Amino acid sequence: MATTTATIVLSSTDLLSDELSLTSTATLTQAGNSTGLTGTEGLARKTVTGGHAQYTLFDGSDFTADKAHKVYLKNLSTTASEYFLITVNAEDVGRLYAGDWALIPWSAHDNDNDIKIDPSAADMTLEYMLFTDE
Amino acid sequence: MATTAAVTLNSDLLSDSISLTASSTLMKAGTTADDLDMVDYGVIDIVTGDQFDLFDADNPSGSPVAGLLQNKANKVYIANHSTDETYYVEIMIDAQNVGRLYAGDWMFIPWSAEDANADIEITANTGTNKIEYALFHQGRTLDAS
Repeated sequence: MATTTATIVLSSTDLLSDELSLTSTATLTQAGNSTGLTGTEGLARKTVTGGHAQYTLFDGSDFTADKAHKVYLKNLSTTASEYFLITVNAEDVGRLYAGDWALIPWSAHDNDNDIKIDPSAADMTLEYMLFTDE
Repeated sequence: MATTAAVTLNSDLLSDSISLTASSTLMKAGTTADDLDMVDYGVIDIVTGDQFDLFDADNPSGSPVAGLLQNKANKVYIANHSTDETYYVEIMIDAQNVGRLYAGDWMFIPWSAEDANADIEITANTGTNKIEYALFHQGRTLDAS
C-alpha cells in the first residue's frame, strides 16, 4: 500500500504574544478507510500564456464523486500582485498570490465540480499535483 | 511580522519517491513587505445534522463589499482531529461542494470571500468531528453589538 503524507508547519515569532508553531501531518487515505491513496496526476507545471481567462485544471467528470481527492497548487510567480483565482464550479475559492501554495480537499462532487484557474496576468506558471481516490 | 506556511509531501506511490517541499510567507494581497498580521483561531466540535458557517464572508454584517476580507489574500487552515476513519466534514463555499476532510486530514486554502454569501461552510458526517481552524487575514470589523 502506498503511503503519502502531507505535513504543514505554520510558524510565526511575532503574530501573537507568544511564538506560533503548529505542525500537523496527515496520511492521505481513501474515503472512509485507512487505505492509502494510490493515484496521482502530476507533479506538473503549466504556464498560462494567454493571461486572464478561466481554464479547467481538473474536470469533475473525470474522477469518482464524493471521494477524498487532494489537490496541491503553487503559484510560481515572483511578482507580488500576480495571482491565480481558484474556482470550484462557478464558486470562487480564493486568490493564490505569488509564492503561495494550497492543499485542497476535493470531492469531485458532480460533473460540474471542476477545479478551475484564472491567472491575473499572462505567462504565469502554476505547479500542481492531484492525489486521487479512485 | 512574518508568518510562514510550509508543506512537505512525501509519497512512495510511484516507482521513485516523491518529496516535495514548499514554503510561503503569508503576505497581504499584492505586497512583498506587508505581512498578514491577524488571525482567528479555534477548536470546536461540529455536530451532525446542520451546516454551519465556520467563517462568515459577510463581515462586517451587511457590508460585504466594504468588508476587509473581500478579494484579499486570506488563508484558511482546517484540521479534522477525529480518529475514526469514517468520520469527515464536508467543506463548502456558498453551497458549492469543495471537498471532504476525513479524520486526520488538514487543508490550507486561499479564501477570497468574494461576496456576502461566500462563507466557509462545514457539515459533520457520521458523528461529532473535532475541528481545529485558523483564518489568517489582514483585518475585519466586528459587528456592532
